[in-house]
Amino acid sequence: MDKVEKKSGAMGVLLRLRDLWRSNPLFSTGIALIVMVIVQTVALSMNTSFSSMGEWFQNWLQNWISLLRGNAGIGIIALGMTFVIISGGIDLSVGSVYVTVGAFIMVLLNTGESGWLAGMGLGGVPAILLGLVLALALGSLLGEGNGLLISYGRMPPFIATLGSMQILRSVTQYFMKTQKTELPEAYKSIARLSIGGQQLMPIIYWAVLAAAMYIISKKTTFGRYVFAIGSNERTTRLSGVNVRKVKRRVYALTGFLVGVAAIIQTSRIGSMDYASAGSGFEMDAIASVIVGGTSMSGGRGSVVGTVFGTLIVAVMNNLLNLIGVDPYLSAAFKGAIIIGAVLLQRKEKN
Amino acid sequence: MKLEMRGIYKSFGANDVLKNIDFAVSGGEICALLGENGAGKSTLMNILGGVLPADSGGISLDGQPVSFRTPAESLNAGIGFIHQELNLVNDLAIFENMFIGRELKTKSGLLDSKTMCGRCREVFRRMDVDLDPRTMVRDLDASYKQIVEIARALLMDASIIIMDEPTTSLTDPEIDRVFDMMRTLQAQGVAMVFISHKLKEVMAVCTRYTVLRDGAMVASGQVEDTNVDELARHMVGHEVRTESLRQERELGPEVLRAENLSQDRYFSDVSFSVRAGEVLGFTGLLGDGRSELFQAVFGSGGKYHGQLYLEGQPVAVHGTPQAVALGIGYVPRDRKENGIIKDLDILENGSIVTWPKQSRLGFLDWNQVREDFRRQADGLKIKMGGEKEAIGSLSGGNQQKVVLAKWLNAGPKVLIFDNPTQGVDVGAKEDIYDTILALAKEGVAVVVLSSEAQEIIRLCDRALVLYHGRVQGELSGEEITDQEIMRLATGGSVQNEGVQQNG
Repeated sequence: MDKVEKKSGAMGVLLRLRDLWRSNPLFSTGIALIVMVIVQTVALSMNTSFSSMGEWFQNWLQNWISLLRGNAGIGIIALGMTFVIISGGIDLSVGSVYVTVGAFIMVLLNTGESGWLAGMGLGGVPAILLGLVLALALGSLLGEGNGLLISYGRMPPFIATLGSMQILRSVTQYFMKTQKTELPEAYKSIARLSIGGQQLMPIIYWAVLAAAMYIISKKTTFGRYVFAIGSNERTTRLSGVNVRKVKRRVYALTGFLVGVAAIIQTSRIGSMDYASAGSGFEMDAIASVIVGGTSMSGGRGSVVGTVFGTLIVAVMNNLLNLIGVDPYLSAAFKGAIIIGAVLLQRKEKN
Repeated sequence: MKLEMRGIYKSFGANDVLKNIDFAVSGGEICALLGENGAGKSTLMNILGGVLPADSGGISLDGQPVSFRTPAESLNAGIGFIHQELNLVNDLAIFENMFIGRELKTKSGLLDSKTMCGRCREVFRRMDVDLDPRTMVRDLDASYKQIVEIARALLMDASIIIMDEPTTSLTDPEIDRVFDMMRTLQAQGVAMVFISHKLKEVMAVCTRYTVLRDGAMVASGQVEDTNVDELARHMVGHEVRTESLRQERELGPEVLRAENLSQDRYFSDVSFSVRAGEVLGFTGLLGDGRSELFQAVFGSGGKYHGQLYLEGQPVAVHGTPQAVALGIGYVPRDRKENGIIKDLDILENGSIVTWPKQSRLGFLDWNQVREDFRRQADGLKIKMGGEKEAIGSLSGGNQQKVVLAKWLNAGPKVLIFDNPTQGVDVGAKEDIYDTILALAKEGVAVVVLSSEAQEIIRLCDRALVLYHGRVQGELSGEEITDQEIMRLATGGSVQNEGVQQNG
């Protein structure tokens, strides 16, 4: 810091920027996002023909809406993953919880003969509401199961969630192999309700949940305990905090958010491929969190950073698409972005 | 082989740690190096072991002047240094540990474990111990680990072996085993330096002694010409100021009582009681079990046997949240590991205990948090830039005060301080003492655990001295002196009319 005060003029500004870059991960992530958006905008303009500024803007906006909508699910899951990673853990089971909750919704709300709620004579809006509550409850419960294994079973989070990841997907596929399902029309409007001719609901859910998670992370005892546990679990326990309960709630909250993502997906697409849906979500969510500047070793991170991180990964995928990079190579770019982001954020050793 | 160190001086900054020390040991001798914490024992041995350079003075081996710039040079000259924390890899076999860094290889470049094991067996035969070199170090008890360390030194042809408090983590039979080993080597002409606090052990195994105090050599001679009391007096000295802060206080009813608390390895059959407004001290040497005892009382130390009573009601504490709810507070030792949370700011570190009280429906009332913290920060005279700054920006003393602040806000009935002034400067130390005494005056039952005798003498109305997890004796008021504490802590019994706890 002393160095900054000695220098003046342009050099001083540069040094100050460098310090800001190093001290605040949000700053570097934000810059990276802005750069990505600019490059994406340029690429978009070169790839599409337009006759007027208005048409160009329409085109640009449409691209953004579909980008945000397409990434709302992973964005919501990444919010939960942020808390998990800040608490010093990891959750590999999010993709499997996602497919399990999705399958559960299908079974509950199926309008055909095998639909559970329809079979009990429930239909219409009450059935849908009950279905939503049960789906979210299942997501939370599966997350709670991870939390119990980790806190009371004293298992490393990696191992516990690796196990539940395998179990949940396999069991879901087994039970769903013969199911043919059709969802009620009203259910589909959860994600497809159109506002001003645009399907914005998934984006709105994402924004609202991000805001809620931001507030939880900053203003509640639970949120601050999560940071404290990730930074120094022992001290936190010695301060009289019920560390096990907090950890359980972190995983349950993540399960809940995965449930929301599953609802959005089933309502938007109307179906789910039990073999592949949600596979790789854990890695995408972890990547978004890490690119967003959250420390893998816990204690440091932010919800805003994760939203930025999700957008960076999303914009990059969009960009590769726009400039026509071979799809086989897109994962390589994703990997490079993760490595690059962490290299940029690393702090200089004192 | 005769080793001599002459006129050794060493200072760290303005702090003179060693002042004109002469030290010598010859083959066939076991020389005790005694002194309190900070007396300079470790510094002296680190100079001999090539870890630190001396400012002036010389070392000679059999009359030849030598100097060691690195531990390797010292080792090559035949000096083996066995540190207090053993340097063994649990997941490797004994022979792999003994040859680590200098493994023997076959012509084809593979490890020659046959030859290595053979060499290990030779050393074990010489030491007269029965160990299989292929045993995993993990499966050895603490005494055999110590023996493997000694064997490694011998394997490297060490003729002088320095042992830094080798018995702290050993049980009595294990200690005997190590002592037998030392006597065997002594008979073979190996010279040994035995660094210890435990005077009974010194009397049992050593032939000569040297006592350091505040960096100066205060006594040396033959062990057969001295006794435990004399050695304790040498270690503590007479000029130490014992300005007691003890006050006349009205003692209230009993707050916390423990009956026959035991936990397998750490403490056994400990009973005590502390009243409102009383400062009760617990002291002893490393490995006395006092920290583990109070971690158990605070619900963070695993299962224990025995019964706790809080304000006369029997309680079983299962976890720290419950302990806090019951009104028990614990300021832990090792601030960095147990006291501060480095990614949270000063305000959060100084308030985390009371968050449940300072929030509504889970939402923190930051104004309330800030107000409560500021009140404590003023009382404790915490020096800080701003309360939103990183906890790491504070000095050790101020960090410790922040840790205190979070507990003061909680208003506990019993507050346990474990080494409360560890790594704290003199000024902050006095502030912390004032805080502790003010708490007692307000009617809090205070327990102070400390390895510093002075701290116990100055603060406590009553003190229990632990030895290997048992109450060795109780001292109260004027009876609490350096000499008494040292004698009890080294395993002696109460001389005055103190309450005999252990028979």
